[in-house]
Amino acid sequence: MNSSRAMPQPGDACNSVNVTFDPGLPVEIGKIEKELGHLWESSDDTKTRASLINFIVYTEDTESLTADTEVISAVAGKHACRAILIMANPHAPVSEAKAWISAHCHLAGKGERQICSEQITFRLDGDSAHALPNIVFSHLDSDLPLCLWWKAEFPEPLDEKLWGWVDRLIFDSSTWKNPAHQFSIIRHLSSSDTTGRVLCDLDWTRLHAWRFALAGMFDHASAFPCLSRVESLRLQCAPGKRTTGLLLLGWLASRLNWKPSGEGDSFLTADGTAIPFVIDDVPGPNLSLLSIHCGDALFELELAESGDFFESRIHAPGTRDTRQILPAGRSKIADTLLSELSRSGRHPLYTKSLELILPLLGK
Amino acid sequence: MPTEALRTNPLREGLTSRTMPDPCTLVIFGATGDLTHRKLIPALYNLAADGALPPAISVVGFARRDKTDEVFRTELEAAARKFSRQSLNDELWKSFASCVSYHRSEFDKFEGYQDLARKLDELDAARGTCGNRLFYLAASPDQFEVILENLRKSGLNKAREGSWARVIVEKPFGTDLPSARGLNDLVQNAFDESQTYRIDHYLGKETAQNIMVLRFANSIFEAMWNSRYIDHVQITASEPLGVEGRAGYYDKSGALRDMVQNHLLQLLCLTAMEPPAGLDADSIRDEKVKVLRSLRPLTGDDVFKHVIRGQYSAGAINGKRVAAYRDELNVDPGSTTETYVALEVNVDNWRWAGVPFFIRVGKRLPKSGTEIAIHFKSVPPVLFKATGESIDDNVLVIRIQPDEGISLRMSAKMPGSSLRIEPVKMDFHYGTSFGKATPEAYERLLLDAMSGDPTLFARRDEVEEAWKFVDAIHAAWATRSDDLAFYSSGSWGPGEADELITRHASTWRRL
Repeated sequence: MNSSRAMPQPGDACNSVNVTFDPGLPVEIGKIEKELGHLWESSDDTKTRASLINFIVYTEDTESLTADTEVISAVAGKHACRAILIMANPHAPVSEAKAWISAHCHLAGKGERQICSEQITFRLDGDSAHALPNIVFSHLDSDLPLCLWWKAEFPEPLDEKLWGWVDRLIFDSSTWKNPAHQFSIIRHLSSSDTTGRVLCDLDWTRLHAWRFALAGMFDHASAFPCLSRVESLRLQCAPGKRTTGLLLLGWLASRLNWKPSGEGDSFLTADGTAIPFVIDDVPGPNLSLLSIHCGDALFELELAESGDFFESRIHAPGTRDTRQILPAGRSKIADTLLSELSRSGRHPLYTKSLELILPLLGK
Repeated sequence: MPTEALRTNPLREGLTSRTMPDPCTLVIFGATGDLTHRKLIPALYNLAADGALPPAISVVGFARRDKTDEVFRTELEAAARKFSRQSLNDELWKSFASCVSYHRSEFDKFEGYQDLARKLDELDAARGTCGNRLFYLAASPDQFEVILENLRKSGLNKAREGSWARVIVEKPFGTDLPSARGLNDLVQNAFDESQTYRIDHYLGKETAQNIMVLRFANSIFEAMWNSRYIDHVQITASEPLGVEGRAGYYDKSGALRDMVQNHLLQLLCLTAMEPPAGLDADSIRDEKVKVLRSLRPLTGDDVFKHVIRGQYSAGAINGKRVAAYRDELNVDPGSTTETYVALEVNVDNWRWAGVPFFIRVGKRLPKSGTEIAIHFKSVPPVLFKATGESIDDNVLVIRIQPDEGISLRMSAKMPGSSLRIEPVKMDFHYGTSFGKATPEAYERLLLDAMSGDPTLFARRDEVEEAWKFVDAIHAAWATRSDDLAFYSSGSWGPGEADELITRHASTWRRL
């Protein structure tokens, strides 16, 4: 176990723990709870063990373990949790399962009290990877919500028992190699759900700042009627990140009662008017610009180069041009996760948006 | 071919935030004062940084000192850097500051208001603020009358058709019932009740707002929230600070008027009120007024039995010697102003019959904290009597500040072969549970006023009922002053306050 990470001393200022990947203290899988007990018994009185959620990270990418542990540390700093990091390699020739335990401690407030979250790291090779549901079920903190961050493509068939236990399923559609297929799995999960599970696409979470800023642009009574006069849309997306732009368009379409036209490059309003859209490939952030043409009026939202702000611009004949700087939210993955975990409730508009863009994904 | 025009912004659905307020101009009277620098501007900046302000907004500082817009903005920037919840971002500040300007005028010069009206019209044209005006009275209370009168005379109190004009009045809302009525009449000469927002920043605190959720969204608490299960309630507001340059105001006011009449009675109302019929402003405020009307009046000799007033003498705070109240700058050396007050209050209604509410507030106490503690009744002394163990009562504590949260004390068996019972505490901290910074009270309240939501503001009848209760105590105090008790700075108040609660076979909580 990396003791400096696991049990830092007061004053270590470990609000952000930078580590090169060290999974912690190796333990026998059957003795994890016992070893965790020893870990806490040996700690001093300034440390409080806390847990509000079970936070599981599943990855098949060995290169991401250091980054994943840093993300867990950042999450634990805001949402005390039982963290379980699972690195699976189902294609490994030898079947093997290993486990490690460690802890993330963060100074609470201005005092010397530290809030500590425990992390259990598993490496599941070969056939052991199929033991995933058992590994998850046997190491949860009881009665606490289960948030599973699935950092891989969804397998088929889905293990209904595993997904049935998940309260919040987190994934990032912008990383998928085959979005059309993966989104269809998500749609299946959504439509077959009877448990109230929340589906959280981190790419949708990132779009919150876009949606928030766009809603603000149309809040004023003189602006929102323009939404019924939209004529065309233009977006700028990074190469290979077209789905991010489509998700935003899907949201707009769901709000404005548009349907996909079948052409792949336009929507149809309720009265059959075509609203064409263009997505330009521009290197940079996943999504950098949205222009909405409404007759003579132009509404533009552009992400600043720094990625920290939007510049919103409204040009409408007969009125003064408006320009405003708006927050764009933070773009680091840990910030996006924290933003998602801080929010309660489901994302009904996500599933509605998804329905509208599914026909466009293969085009 | 356009479809039917939309009536509301459909893009708002599903977003966690509320609808953005209308474009408007906020005029701050007393713009060079402490409140503007420490609270209002940092709150506005944080709202801008959270994207919660409308694109078209103007902030006009109205004050007597001569300065340019540029100097004003520079001063505000320094203050915002010091007091803002979020650290200042240069780009965002620049964008926010571009909407801030300064208007110099004496408060009693009518021409200054005529100039202001012209300026606001220009801003409407230049920035698209649509004639919506929010006037914030952050000046000294003795200027309220002249400001309100000039707003009325200049017509600034009247909004054009399709626009609105509102006024935010800072506490104190008067110094007694007649002056409160006078101030309310004065305000209502210019603005009607629906345009008036009396700010009590305690109501903007997340924890104060959470009291209703805690009570009415959790069946385990509401079922026990009555005289059958609750023994008594303690409401405490303590601070180590002395008068800190406010002696001129404080020596006339004292703790009862400064804190009890507004903040602490508001907390009592939220604790004691019945479930409102709805979450609209008037349903909630109706229930609070009912509590105030149910307070058993304290008059005559009862005041000296149920109210303890104290004043700090010299002592030590955080290891440093501090002077007695009477030795503070600008304090009358023979002052009998109370810097501490403890009250036993009864709410004479069905729910609270026989449950005393002990309220205490004081300066120069050992630590800073505001909390409501619900002390539940003891279990029957039967089962564990033979073991000789004393069992502490359950206490539910709602911490308003600092470290907002809720804790519940209960009894548990200590591990071991013998039966030993010890109190344990379950703690909920806003900071660790929700993982995001809670907005400052002023952020919420400014946004509410811009949006026309008066729920978290005091209504006229609330203010006047609270004064009625407090005035009766003052009337008794005016007859004599030999009850004034002294306490050392750095202590938890006078011994007489301890006796007050000891009569109920209890003790003050140690914060």
